[in-house]
Amino acid sequence: MSKKPSGGVQPALHKVIMVGSGGVGKSALTLQFMYDEFVEDYEPTKADSYRKKVVLDGEEVQIDILDTAGQEDYAAIRDNYFRSGEGFLCVFSITEEESFQATQEFREQILRVKNDEQIPFVLVGNKGDLDEKRKVPLADAQSRAHHWQVPYVETSAKTRDNVDKVFFDLMREIRSRKMEENKMSNGRGKDKSKRKKLRCALL
Amino acid sequence: MAPPPVVTGISPKEGLPGTRVTIRGENLGNRPQDLIGLTICGCDCLLSAEWKSPNKIIARSGPGKTRGDIIVSTASGGKGSSTVQFRGYHETIGPLKESAVWIEEAPLQALAWGRRSLSPTSYQMEDPLGLSVEGNEKKFPEDELHALFPDGSGDLASDQFEPGWFLLEHHHATSFDDLRVGLSYLRRKVEGQKEGQLSFLKANVGSVMEQLDTLFLLKEKFEADINIYGVDRTVKMEKSIAESMLEANKLFEGVLKRRERADATRNALGVLQRFRFLFTLPVAIERNIKRGEYDAVINAYARALNLFGKTDVVNKIFMNGLKIWMAWHACSIILRQIHGSHVPKNFLDGTATNLVNLDAGGDPAWSAIQVHAKYLTQQLNSCFNTHMAADTSVEEGKTPKGSHSKHTRTPSGNQILDSQSTVPQRVLCVEELTEIMSSRFPDLWKLGQAYFSGELQIPVGPNQQQEFKSIVLNVIGLGCSLLRGVLLPHTLETKSAWPANSSLDVLPAWLPHCLRYVRSSYSSLISLDLPGEALDIVGKLLFDLQLSCMGTLLVQAGDQLSSLHTKENWQLHFDSRFGGITSLPTLFEEIITEAITLIKETVLQSGIRETALLENESAKKEFNNKLHNTLLNFVQALEKLVSNNDMGDHSPAISQLIGSPAHFRDHSQSSGLAWEQRLLCTLSNCLYTEKEVLPRLLELLNRHNYPPLPKTFQAVTNALNMLEKDIIETFIEQKSDPLVGTIEPSMYLGRFDWDTQLSPTDLRPYAKEIIYNIVAVHAEVYRICPDQIYYILSHIVETIAEELSRLMSCVKSTKFSTQGNQQARIDITALQETFSAFTTSTAESFFSEALEVIPPLKNADTKVVDEVLKTFQSKMLLRVACLKTVKKPLNSL
Repeated sequence: MSKKPSGGVQPALHKVIMVGSGGVGKSALTLQFMYDEFVEDYEPTKADSYRKKVVLDGEEVQIDILDTAGQEDYAAIRDNYFRSGEGFLCVFSITEEESFQATQEFREQILRVKNDEQIPFVLVGNKGDLDEKRKVPLADAQSRAHHWQVPYVETSAKTRDNVDKVFFDLMREIRSRKMEENKMSNGRGKDKSKRKKLRCALL
Repeated sequence: MAPPPVVTGISPKEGLPGTRVTIRGENLGNRPQDLIGLTICGCDCLLSAEWKSPNKIIARSGPGKTRGDIIVSTASGGKGSSTVQFRGYHETIGPLKESAVWIEEAPLQALAWGRRSLSPTSYQMEDPLGLSVEGNEKKFPEDELHALFPDGSGDLASDQFEPGWFLLEHHHATSFDDLRVGLSYLRRKVEGQKEGQLSFLKANVGSVMEQLDTLFLLKEKFEADINIYGVDRTVKMEKSIAESMLEANKLFEGVLKRRERADATRNALGVLQRFRFLFTLPVAIERNIKRGEYDAVINAYARALNLFGKTDVVNKIFMNGLKIWMAWHACSIILRQIHGSHVPKNFLDGTATNLVNLDAGGDPAWSAIQVHAKYLTQQLNSCFNTHMAADTSVEEGKTPKGSHSKHTRTPSGNQILDSQSTVPQRVLCVEELTEIMSSRFPDLWKLGQAYFSGELQIPVGPNQQQEFKSIVLNVIGLGCSLLRGVLLPHTLETKSAWPANSSLDVLPAWLPHCLRYVRSSYSSLISLDLPGEALDIVGKLLFDLQLSCMGTLLVQAGDQLSSLHTKENWQLHFDSRFGGITSLPTLFEEIITEAITLIKETVLQSGIRETALLENESAKKEFNNKLHNTLLNFVQALEKLVSNNDMGDHSPAISQLIGSPAHFRDHSQSSGLAWEQRLLCTLSNCLYTEKEVLPRLLELLNRHNYPPLPKTFQAVTNALNMLEKDIIETFIEQKSDPLVGTIEPSMYLGRFDWDTQLSPTDLRPYAKEIIYNIVAVHAEVYRICPDQIYYILSHIVETIAEELSRLMSCVKSTKFSTQGNQQARIDITALQETFSAFTTSTAESFFSEALEVIPPLKNADTKVVDEVLKTFQSKMLLRVACLKTVKKPLNSL
């Protein structure tokens, strides 16, 4: 609804949101995916926005990444951000137990905001290159992912392991969701127009 | 030009004015100086921008207040675009918010000192509708609000206040009834405010009282102060302020002075810096020119012009000097470069533009054209000369290897020549010349085009068009005359022709190759859209070359044909129609076909702007003559084959009763065929050529669109016919002479005479010999040349009949005994009958003449004759069978 009218045929836009505790590497993953660079110094993110064209299974699409703040200070504004997301990368660090626990809260918050159990979601264990400092056993992470019925992928923003994979997997998920919705939209088209009309009356 | 910058990432994506933002994207400039513009939400932020890498810029956001693009502009890529947006917002700083700036607190006073919650303003802060917003957690997304009310705001105090925004923001989930209640509440409150001063005082009586108290307190304090300090209490303060000002001025005087000095020093340093740049400019320019970085020179020049060009007269003079010096310097170096052997592609064009950019005096582009023309001329001449020298030195045998290998480099063509050392110098020269013409000349032409079309931004001189045209014509003319000198020395009278030597002899074989080169160069010239006159020069050369090439090819074929007779191996191949032929006609056909095809492929295949060679009358005539000669060469070769009867081997196939039989003679000649047989073979070849090969060639010519050449072919056919006739006559002569010659001795062999008393029982041996010989000849001819049997045999039979009649007339009629008479009759009648198929009327008359000489016989005696003849016929039936079946001649000569 808020989409800007733009000339020409724009490729499909998939909105991805990075969530997770502070310092787990959300921005590092994003920057590695966007610009192939690994940022060593830590600078807490507030809310960053990235968008570029990628080729997904031979089709040109646009990926919009919202890199959110992990710090609790910003917890209040998350709701707003989450609403616009179409898919979520829930990141924790395999070297930090707390960040893994926090994923539970993020998951709940997302489900609450989106009100959709099937929302495209990937659980990401980052810092895979620091295996010797691992605090979160692989089995724990996998069992949680299994419990949520989402994929679990271990990545390394430093070595670029699986970085593209998580983004592309998520985009495929989003795309297939959209296709399903398009199929069902025949039945729901009326509802939508009704909703719109309702609001007009209210104004 | 680099691709335009694209911003694909922003961190953070929203913030207050002055927020430090990291901008990421692609092609954000390749160095700090490349970044020439940055706007965030429409505010210019270049000042704060810090270029980190082509992917990253750090800047501070401006006072933009809405959502907007981040636009990066670079010198190399122009104005860019952005896929992400930044949202600037202004924070409303409340009393509980830390703030570095002083804000107007007045409207918030009541809340800040919130002792009276009854104050109407405090209600405003709560909710104007008096509704609870608790539990209304689900907020309306801000983005959508922005989209719905692009210019609005939800702030009650704002000018652009939008009620819709406010309601959606705060009462998104409030029910309609509640809203109605809220509205009535708001209405009530507004009316309440309108009730007037009294009610206002009533409502605020507490604070009014408090204010009164405070005022009284102030008044008391003031009166007390008057008692202590007197009426005018500010005099003292004014005095001390003036004092402190004086002090302050004193303090700052030194600082300001120092600052002034520092500024002056800095200015001086700046000026020095600028002049240092100026003084090092020449060195830098020289260095850059040496390195070939002309762009850098021009940049430096432009910079110098910017810095000093418009300042004062002295600078101007200095700059003029510098300009002239630089232009001269650049020119000389560039020209030197041009004179060098390798001129990079488009280099001249660029150079000329560069020179124009430098405002050099004179007309650099024009001189570049002239220099290039000169350079081309030199190239052409030197190429010609070196190759000629190399060729001559090879010719003279002086260090043949060294000079040869030096010039046998692959002529930069894509043609891979199988063995370099066999390529004659002339061909190499042609290749190089055409290479120069087709690769270097276009540069000149394009330069000229660019010059005259004004691409170089130079005013064009009035006579230069004409002059340029003559330059172009000269260069092309030179190239063509050089090529002519190499390939067609006879068409030039001047000394520039390549002296004829042995290499000219091998040239013909390479002509088509050269032609191909010249033609490709011609087509490349055509594609340049040159004036017609220039093209005509090349076209003329091409035409001459084609003509000579065609001639050479035909002469070559002719030479091959005339030496064909040495190739004859007399291997007979049998053709159903023409009997035995050898490989000669096939070879002939192959050679001619090859020549014609080659001519078609190389010479006649006319490209664009070439007149088809054979449409030209003289060329046609030439072609006609050459073809005629070539074809006649073959006829001559055939003739040669027949005429050199050097074997001295006469009539091998004629058996003679005298002497040893021919069959036992040694036939171990190289050919294995007797001369007469060769005669026949050649005859057959002639016929085959005439009937089969020539029509085929004619058809071939037609197919290749050659103009019809009826006369040539007629002449060749005539020549062939003549030859055939000659051959047949020779053959007949060869055959009949010995045959006839043996009749008389054979007739009187064994002292036989016509007054014999022996009763005839059979033909005399001489008659049988005649028959056998005829049969032999028949066999011989039939084997090779069945068509000519009738003609040949009838001739021979004629001579035989003539001889018989002569012999009979020599016998005195009285000399005949009855037996002799009978014998003679038997012989002659038998011969007559045997040869009846080949008997012409002349022969018939001769036979009857022979019979008439013999005196008539009595009836009883005639019986004997009939009987003998009968037995003869039955006995000889098989042997003479061949003579009975005569085919009607297919053609009569």
